[in-house]
Amino acid sequence: MESQEEVEDIQPETLNRIYYLGKLESNVIHTPRDAKEILQEGKAEVIANEEGDRNIPSILAYVEGEEYHGTQAKNQLVRNSKNTVAYFRDYLGKDFSAIDPTPCQASAHPQKHDSTVAFSIQDTESESPNTVTVSEIATRHIRRLAASASDYLGRRVNAAVITVPTNFSDEQKEALSKAAKDAGIEVLQMVSEPTAAILAYDARPEAELKDKIIVVADLGGTRSDVAVIASRGGIYSILSTKHDYETAGAQLDQVLIDHFSKEFIKKHKTDPRQNPRSLAKLKLEAEATKKALSLGGNAVLSVESLADGVDFASTINRTRYELLAGKVFSSFVNLIKETIQSADLDILDVDEVILSGGTSHTPRISSSLQSLFPPETRILSPSTLPTAVDPASLSARGAAIQASLISEYDSEDIEQSTHPAVTVTPHLANAIGIMTVSEDVKRGVFTQLVTKDTAVPCRRAIVMNAPKGGGDVIVKLCEAEREIEVTKPEPKPKTNGAAKKDDDDDDDSDLDDDDSDDEPEEIRKKIWKVGKPLAEIAVREVKKGGKVEVTVNIAADMGVQITAREVGGKGGVRGALEKPKPAENGTAS
Amino acid sequence: MAAAQASLPLPVLPSEWQADGNFKATASLSTPVQRNIEAVGPHFLAHARRLRHRRTFSEDEK
Ligand SMILES: Nc1ncnc2c1ncn2[C@@H]1O[C@H](COP(=O)(O)OP(=O)(O)OP(=O)(O)O)[C@@H](O)[C@H]1O
Ligand SMILES: [Mg+2]
Repeated sequence: MESQEEVEDIQPETLNRIYYLGKLESNVIHTPRDAKEILQEGKAEVIANEEGDRNIPSILAYVEGEEYHGTQAKNQLVRNSKNTVAYFRDYLGKDFSAIDPTPCQASAHPQKHDSTVAFSIQDTESESPNTVTVSEIATRHIRRLAASASDYLGRRVNAAVITVPTNFSDEQKEALSKAAKDAGIEVLQMVSEPTAAILAYDARPEAELKDKIIVVADLGGTRSDVAVIASRGGIYSILSTKHDYETAGAQLDQVLIDHFSKEFIKKHKTDPRQNPRSLAKLKLEAEATKKALSLGGNAVLSVESLADGVDFASTINRTRYELLAGKVFSSFVNLIKETIQSADLDILDVDEVILSGGTSHTPRISSSLQSLFPPETRILSPSTLPTAVDPASLSARGAAIQASLISEYDSEDIEQSTHPAVTVTPHLANAIGIMTVSEDVKRGVFTQLVTKDTAVPCRRAIVMNAPKGGGDVIVKLCEAEREIEVTKPEPKPKTNGAAKKDDDDDDDSDLDDDDSDDEPEEIRKKIWKVGKPLAEIAVREVKKGGKVEVTVNIAADMGVQITAREVGGKGGVRGALEKPKPAENGTAS
Repeated sequence: MAAAQASLPLPVLPSEWQADGNFKATASLSTPVQRNIEAVGPHFLAHARRLRHRRTFSEDEK
């Protein structure tokens, strides 16, 4: 805090140092001044605080008037839980009646205070506790993060891009902005967590610009958030989101807490979960054991004087853990399935799954997702991709990249660009493409040019082959919808021969038959259902082995400009489609 | 975005096909869906810039 006064102050427009303000852990990321550098070289550096931590627990603790932050504060959860504030981000900007206080059972309890939330803590040397608002706590936390970053950089940090969950309300954003301001930090922009995670991957030098459907699963400590996002020409539109506050890292910790408690009870007839201090110790260690199980096949849990002065040490292997935590793992998978469904999409539509948040280090979650999705779907997580970005700092990286992109803008520019007048945009209701010839010359095949859910204005081009001999060709532009074709392979004919004799299941399989459990798995495939024809264009006298380039430019009013020309040829054919007529009195045409 | 490549060929123009300027418009696009785009990333910023300066894609490239 004091160090802020000592270091050189620099102009806000040259700032690009960023926070990820997690509920449990925060990161501060520093990016080069020049956005091109990160975009070309993927440069962004996670800053460590004085203790060397890069993922800094979002916790503050007070001992005789002294403030502890991060890991040091986390350790106070055992000895001094009353004066340790461990959860506050999601209480910002909320009414006391609207918050869930359960995560605070073993730390300072939130209380009603005027229209907001506060904690009663002994944060000075005086014996009597003070009422400290959640806003003030957030300010102190951000001040500590900023101080660590300033110390590290030797320059005072005074601006940030901060990530927030997709369901953060305007009131919450406003409260966060104010809390940051009180800590001397101007919030340049708030970015939603899943979008930041995508940006972190898309900014890597090896990334290809492609249209794709991305699922971002942010699996944290006290909540899991899933978003389905259409990425079209590098522009992101959120199609659906879901949030689950009952399935996250804390539930995995609980599985281990219960497991080891049962072992302890067997030996010592005492339940360590009954005593708050024993439980706090067990909780800290169980989390460490869980993290160790993400890396190794075995992990030890050891706690000095767990209960009744008895030390406890035990080992668990990963298989056992995965069995015990099976239910929690399936809840993650179900949350992802439901979010895809609520976007009206199919598992087959998903091109990429980005696993974000600390819990995404768990190998079992990645492998469950690998079996849920088809092999073409890329699962971006530490255990499925050697070059994956650390999921715990993924959103922070995205925020850092955004910060350096907007570092030349002044706040008015940023405000203008993020205004609904710019961001609320028509998106294509159907795919647009061109009919090509299939092996069966009479039947056409739809070749996609512009994907559904693309925001306009947009421009896309495609190069098509002419028939081998060249000549006059026709470009038929039309809309199409993706459908899922389900086929069932012919069930194996029932042989009553000797081959099946020893098959015990045969009897009950007759019963199961209509339940389809024993039937061969259905094959699901994406197919195009060709819809409205939009235009026909003739390109004449194409050379032998020639190619035709078709460019489509869709304007903000949905009017379309189309150009078709022979590659390397002159001129070409141009035409336009009028913008759709507005529906009369709400009756769609 | 760079031009995509299709592998299958275009059909031959039917001999009876006729149109002014070799172009026949048959319909407009279906009514779009209004959605919010995320104000994030280099491509969004380019989109916002084009909108602010009322520029087209090709004007923007010059
Ligand atoms: N290597 C690991 N293996 C398994 N779990 C891990 C690992 N590293 C961190 N975690 C878990 O990740 C959780 C914290 O995740 P994260 O930092 O994404 O949360 P947050 O965003 O700060 O909070 P929340 O999302 O709950 O609001 C904790 O439960 C922690 O135990
Ligand atoms: Mg989180």
